[in-house]
Amino acid sequence: MPRHPSPGPCSPPLFPPPGRRYAGRWCPPAAPVVRDRAGAAGPLARPFPSPTPGTVPPAPPSPVPLPRAPLPHPPAEPEPPPRSLRISRRDAQSLLPLPVSPPAATSASGCAGRTWGWCAGRSGAGAGARCGMGEFEVHRVRFFGLVPAGVRCLACQPRGGRRLALARTDGAVEVYNFAANYFQEKVIPGHEGRSVEALCWAAEDRLFGAGLGGEITEYDLSRLCVARSVDGGGGPIWSMAANSSGAQLAIGCEDGSVKLFRVVPGGIQFERNLDRRKGRILCLSWHPSDTHIAAGSIDILRVFDVSSGQTVQRIMVNYHVHKVKRECIVWSIAFLSSGTVVTSDSFGRVQFWDWEQGTLSESHTVSTSAVLSLSVSEKEDSIVVGTSTGATYQFQLLPVKMGSLEKRWVRTKPFQHHTHDVRAVAHSSTALISGGLDAQLVIRPLMEKIQKKGYEAALRKFTFPHRCLVSCARKARLLLFQFSQHLELWRLGSTNETGKDGEVLPLCRMPEHLVQLKSKGPEHIYCSCVSPCGSWVAYSTASRFHLYRVQYEGDSVSVKKVPKVPKLLLPAYQLQFSADSGSLFVASARGSVHVLQLLEPGGCKHLHTFRPPSGCPEAVYLLAVSADGHWLAAVSGDWAIHVYNLKCFKHHCTVPTYDCAVTALAIHPVTNNLVISYSDQQLFEFSIPEKQYTAWSRTVQNHGLHKAWLERDSPITHITFNPKNPSHILLHDIYMFCVLDKSLPLPDNSALLMNQSTLKQLPETARQRQLHAFKICKKFQPLLFADLLDENCLVMVERPIVDFKTELPLPIQQKKFGT
Amino acid sequence: MEAVGREEGGVWRGGRGVARGVPHGGRKAGSASGAGREGGVRGKMAPRKKAGVAAAARGKRGPPAAHLSPASSEDEAPEEVSFGAAREAAEAERKLEGEAAQRHRELLKEKRRRRQELFVEQKRRKLLPEAVLQELTAAPGAGKQGEGQVQKRVKKHKRRKGGLPSLALTRPKGNYTAVRLKDQSLTGLHQQLAKDFLNTQLYGPDTNRVQANEFFSLENKKDPVKKAAVQFVDKSWGQEKKLKAIRFKKRWLSTQM
Repeated sequence: MPRHPSPGPCSPPLFPPPGRRYAGRWCPPAAPVVRDRAGAAGPLARPFPSPTPGTVPPAPPSPVPLPRAPLPHPPAEPEPPPRSLRISRRDAQSLLPLPVSPPAATSASGCAGRTWGWCAGRSGAGAGARCGMGEFEVHRVRFFGLVPAGVRCLACQPRGGRRLALARTDGAVEVYNFAANYFQEKVIPGHEGRSVEALCWAAEDRLFGAGLGGEITEYDLSRLCVARSVDGGGGPIWSMAANSSGAQLAIGCEDGSVKLFRVVPGGIQFERNLDRRKGRILCLSWHPSDTHIAAGSIDILRVFDVSSGQTVQRIMVNYHVHKVKRECIVWSIAFLSSGTVVTSDSFGRVQFWDWEQGTLSESHTVSTSAVLSLSVSEKEDSIVVGTSTGATYQFQLLPVKMGSLEKRWVRTKPFQHHTHDVRAVAHSSTALISGGLDAQLVIRPLMEKIQKKGYEAALRKFTFPHRCLVSCARKARLLLFQFSQHLELWRLGSTNETGKDGEVLPLCRMPEHLVQLKSKGPEHIYCSCVSPCGSWVAYSTASRFHLYRVQYEGDSVSVKKVPKVPKLLLPAYQLQFSADSGSLFVASARGSVHVLQLLEPGGCKHLHTFRPPSGCPEAVYLLAVSADGHWLAAVSGDWAIHVYNLKCFKHHCTVPTYDCAVTALAIHPVTNNLVISYSDQQLFEFSIPEKQYTAWSRTVQNHGLHKAWLERDSPITHITFNPKNPSHILLHDIYMFCVLDKSLPLPDNSALLMNQSTLKQLPETARQRQLHAFKICKKFQPLLFADLLDENCLVMVERPIVDFKTELPLPIQQKKFGT
Repeated sequence: MEAVGREEGGVWRGGRGVARGVPHGGRKAGSASGAGREGGVRGKMAPRKKAGVAAAARGKRGPPAAHLSPASSEDEAPEEVSFGAAREAAEAERKLEGEAAQRHRELLKEKRRRRQELFVEQKRRKLLPEAVLQELTAAPGAGKQGEGQVQKRVKKHKRRKGGLPSLALTRPKGNYTAVRLKDQSLTGLHQQLAKDFLNTQLYGPDTNRVQANEFFSLENKKDPVKKAAVQFVDKSWGQEKKLKAIRFKKRWLSTQM
């Protein structure tokens, strides 16, 4: 596909501006190539604010009588509700949001409270400031009880591949792209019966997983689902490894057998069994020459000859330790080309064995608890291990003396990024990557491996997915939360009070949990959406698509499943309702988007399917629809953005391809400009009617974005607009919320990007001079979702880290001196 | 002399009887023997004394010994007791003793009998109902008959089962339970074993795990700026009471409407 296709009739896009083509992608003239390391680590190094109970008003007694349990269905309804529904309605007790009032003033306290305003050049109290730009009543929502699943295994694409595969304890598999600033580009939701214990890349870019279900699963990375699975035949599978050429897979099973499979086009084929002994095989590693396999079990490690299938060495890892009562679990193993076998075990040791002699050459005790994971760099000069206390350590092969030929393994760097067990580590060419049961993925760059300071030189920590799990019905003031196997529909609270900037307003109506929809079956939910009017809810799993009609009668809610939804190509990857709630757009595989028309009493009809003109193997993962119902933009896995005309059901144009992942996009309700954010933090504005980038977008590219903006480490996940202020773009990532004012000048690198607090202290005249386009608020963290309900009312969904950490599996006790 | 010897023996036996029979009428026997002594053994000083001392030493029964040997008796001449009277006294004493022993034995017997009854009763309670027992006793008889008859009986049972569910219910169950095959697949079992292994290794007793609240409060302890506790209360506390309160509220609301 050409990089810059000029779609048929439309004029060729004028972009790129006079930038340079650099390393395969457009580099805007002002894009910084060198950056300060400390600055880069900045946004993430900051600790999360702990929930301060003082800021949450105690729930006032609800003045209205408690709602009665709603009728599951009104008597008039002929059809009983489907069994998968559970309707519950209760008062939210927990941390409630905040109400906020119409802003009374932009004051010096700025973002300090629930009502908060931007320093936008105007100050003063009273009615004049009421509709002043950028003052909002904020609903601070903390009742989204998302608990991300822990990281179970990691696999870097071998031989300099640019992808990292990650599996979570709930069976979900994710793919991160190093080239796109570690963007989480693919997510395959989990499955109750499919745990993943091992992941590996084989045959270039095919991804295989195996788990305690006993099956080897191949994932389809373009359709984001399981392509096929084969029973391993040896009971639960604990470990899997691909040989250096990626043509063979070895699995270690519960029954003590090691089985070899050959990777063939369209699947895998059983090849042979190696010598079977008692004891589960917990870890496996191929010798780089593919002649031997080392396998770790309980108290023992074995080396197999691949050609004969016989055990050629058997080493008791506890032989030299006297009077050991507990068994020693070899959790992880690596076979180096020099013939050294490295093991990590439950006694907290990392040991180096000579496999031919069967002798221990080195032993390092790194922890009092187990060392659970181990990974070797491709050059075999560095090892990273992860322990169950959450610490990771690096070992390096260093000469004993300067200039000496004799080298030894030395423990060099300790890191404590996790609070819980580190069950997976990976060693890329430039970074140590670790994933813990605290759901955190940490990418720690090795500075000595990095030639130039750039995006890769900063420490990255990812806890939340790079996409929205929340959708908002603006008119009905509802929020829909997506969990792995259920949905929750909440009604926001409200207040009559008004207050000053920074004040917390008491609620006159508490937020209400209206409906909980439980998905039936073991599959996890791919995507969900609530319509702007709040009367339709849709979600999709791997094999089923559900649409519900929700009706509100006074205090009770009834949910009815829409029968006979059209048979679509499933799963759906993204759902989006039109602004008038009249149609539903379903993102599907092969770049296609289905349009369903919603019929009033609770039905739907398939209207049309859009397909990209040149075809596309990848699934669509983002959708944006214009407020006037005229345009639809769709992004597929190859990062191409197609714009379709909904009035005549035709393909309208393609946005010039930019070689980076699209993280969010939205269409402006007034101007029909498409605003696109990319994972390298670039922002573009594309005029759909004119089929070209807008003048503002060109200015941004010529001027370049601020250095601090480009160094942020989490992608923009949602974009929205303020219809009353067409020059405003509201965007957010996990750590900040930003109002981008196109009418103001762009900041220079010398200016302060996050200048709201300074502005507040300046007098009016000086403030005018300091203003720039980016107004950033970092008060709400970690921010999972932000949306504008009406012109001066915002909803912010937060999930404080500490809140879910207490719900994770128990951590190991750590002794701290003096406590 | 004979009588004295017997007398002494009587005293001894009586003493032993008291020692043995404290719970049932021993005191009576003791006093009876004391009276006999007073009546019949007065004339013989030395043996009596000896007996008294010995009895005191062995039985450690101070008071009866003191009673038996008043200090004034040493100087008195032995009292004369007629042979017939002595014999009568001895016989009466023997009789009394015999009766006491008899009573004792009977009591023991009664006790044993009651215990036996209790056991039988307990056993009966453990046993299956009468109907079942009868059916069981009938079954071996059927087994002795020809095979054809057994089969007929089985058929009859089947027919009866259809007609009389109550009888079918009383049939003894074998040592088996009914399960769905679907739940018991071998892979499921293996998977469970594997998960259990993992759980024991990571979260078992030796692994030194700590509650999240404690773990995250450590930082706060050393922090110069003290923050709120990570969790204020354990939400699992008072679970039943909370549920009860919710149920009560619901009921109360429904009565109000």
